[in-house]
Amino acid sequence: MDTMDSDAFAGFYQRSARPLWAYLARVSGDPALADDLMQESYVRYLCAALPASYATEGEVAARRYLFRIATNLLRDHWRRPRPTSIDDLPEELFAATSNSAQADSQAILGPALAQMRPRDRQLLWLAHAEGYSHREIADVTGLASASIRLLLFRARRKIARLLQNQNQTQLRLQTQQAALENTTSAPTQRSQP
Amino acid sequence: MTLRPCPHEKEVVALLARGHYPQACPAELRTHVSACRSCADLALVTRAFQTARTESAAAAHLASPGLLWWRAQLRRRNAAVERIGKPILGAQIFALSVSLLFAAVFLATQATHGLRWLSWLQQLQKTQFPQASSLHLEALWPSTLIHSGWSPMVLIPILATLALLSGVVIYLASEKQ
Repeated sequence: MDTMDSDAFAGFYQRSARPLWAYLARVSGDPALADDLMQESYVRYLCAALPASYATEGEVAARRYLFRIATNLLRDHWRRPRPTSIDDLPEELFAATSNSAQADSQAILGPALAQMRPRDRQLLWLAHAEGYSHREIADVTGLASASIRLLLFRARRKIARLLQNQNQTQLRLQTQQAALENTTSAPTQRSQP
Repeated sequence: MTLRPCPHEKEVVALLARGHYPQACPAELRTHVSACRSCADLALVTRAFQTARTESAAAAHLASPGLLWWRAQLRRRNAAVERIGKPILGAQIFALSVSLLFAAVFLATQATHGLRWLSWLQQLQKTQFPQASSLHLEALWPSTLIHSGWSPMVLIPILATLALLSGVVIYLASEKQ
């Protein structure tokens, strides 16, 4: 059992903070909450002793341990009784602070993620954004390794359907908009000598 | 819903993880992905999540690592102080219980001996100082105390113990604060 020194922590923080914030922000749908939970995750990480696997796996194990703390904090947050549920938060809350590129990504993934259950969001993010294996996801979430495959398969199928529907809707809207632009510009072109 | 893993899934996952899909993907695998629902879902979802991860990570506003380090040190210190304080508090409670027990035993023995002392004192007064036989010690005590049946020899240790205990309680309360 060991702990990090200040310099080692600064380096680890620089490498791991942004992915952790992205995970918390996208899964919770609330950037302010992500800020709070991220800070709390690091403080708890520093207060606790490093996992035993740190000796063999190094920073990979430390990072996984950090994600585990963050996942537990998210779960505690969802379990805590409060006047409004995190699932009821408007998506605009997240989109309001993002730039245009992020808004594009949010416009595609955000509504689909909002329709998923919190646990499915966590599983999908860990598997597809972080690239964790089923065993690693089981380690982070505390779920049984055997059930991860099925849960992930179902969640992936569901979000893929949602993303496809969304893409089709967007494509249809773009086609309609293009057709509308054509019809409005055609008479003006004809009237020109 | 049946769970049938595609034999090409690992290949697609590896290409997606390296960012080689679809540009650096072999043509036959690309054809397979377009035909296989499982692989198509995998590619669609992974690319959407990877894009979201890159963009969200760039938008993160990070706190200073020094601040987090300091907060963790403070929390660690408080936890250590609390951890050390627990046995001390236990010892204090134990000491207080033992003191109370001794006080109760002492009071019980003194209650029985108190009356004897009084009679012994009166006897001593009569034999050694016969001229002071008219001296009535009970006249020094308040009349209500005498009529209530409480012996001053019992009352004084009780009051002393109460004063001592209140002092201990005040000390413990101030220390906790």
